[in-house]
Amino acid sequence: MNLYDFIIQNKEILKVLYGLIIGFICLIIVLKTDKLFRISFHQGIRYFRNAFFFYGLGFITRYVFGTPLLDDYFSQYYFLIIKILLEFFLIMAGFFLFYSLVWKKFEAHRKGYFSSLLNPPIFIFYILTFLIIFLDNLWNGYFFMFSSQIIIFILAFAISLINYVRDEGKHQFLKFYFLAMILSLIVWVLNSLAAFFIHWDQIILINVSGINVILFLLFLFGVIYITNIK
Amino acid sequence: MVKKRERLEVIRDILESIRSSRNIKPTRLLYSSNLSPQMFKEYVNELIVKGFIKLEIDDNDKKTFLITKKGNDFLQEYKTIENFVKNFGL
Repeated sequence: MNLYDFIIQNKEILKVLYGLIIGFICLIIVLKTDKLFRISFHQGIRYFRNAFFFYGLGFITRYVFGTPLLDDYFSQYYFLIIKILLEFFLIMAGFFLFYSLVWKKFEAHRKGYFSSLLNPPIFIFYILTFLIIFLDNLWNGYFFMFSSQIIIFILAFAISLINYVRDEGKHQFLKFYFLAMILSLIVWVLNSLAAFFIHWDQIILINVSGINVILFLLFLFGVIYITNIK
Repeated sequence: MVKKRERLEVIRDILESIRSSRNIKPTRLLYSSNLSPQMFKEYVNELIVKGFIKLEIDDNDKKTFLITKKGNDFLQEYKTIENFVKNFGL
């Protein structure tokens, strides 16, 4: 039996494990960045923290609370709510990650302490997110979520490339950040291909999961490495 | 041409001025901060709101700025914060 066969045969339990691993990675990132935010009150750190908070919730919701292993215990409405929550968390996470790169352009003149979950730019993200969820449920798929995330990560990819080039190699993690954005884009494109053209092909989804783990570990490595430099 | 200071650097400079002189009058802090009076007011108000500094007024109506524990924590962790912000492009 090769590795793919083993994974496909045990996929439901491995998916739960996968959700827990990503959730745990996100939890560490959130705790580390929250500590840094509470010292600095830096809005960029705050939005970055929020992104991983939502990613963590998204993965736990989808792979732990939304596992088919619970099919016998919950009705179809439960799984509909899980689908809506999954989309909400993942889309908001993407928006927060993107916004952490551009927030200065919109909040340069805002002073004082304000909520990072309830302020005008974030309100626009909520409206877009609810619109995307509504359209996806209307069409019974994920087309609008995948499309929105591909657009978001093309923009994030461009911004991280500009940051990396402008920095001229002074800050080591910028190149890994750029790499992380490429991986994110690949993940969303592969997910879309699997969903729309090859009927959720198992081999592609296994590879997407593998890339996702690498991606989140890369962010975790960056956060731990940089917060430990004295 | 002198490079424009980043927001984090301005905050660090203001906090360091206050810490090095233990308490400092507003006019002296304005000079040492190298900011316009308008910008200075905005930064100082923000630092007070965030609890990094506090303004004390004595019986003779003399005003002085003091650094708080939060402000000291910020200076202690400044390098880490700066590294994080620059390495993640935030």
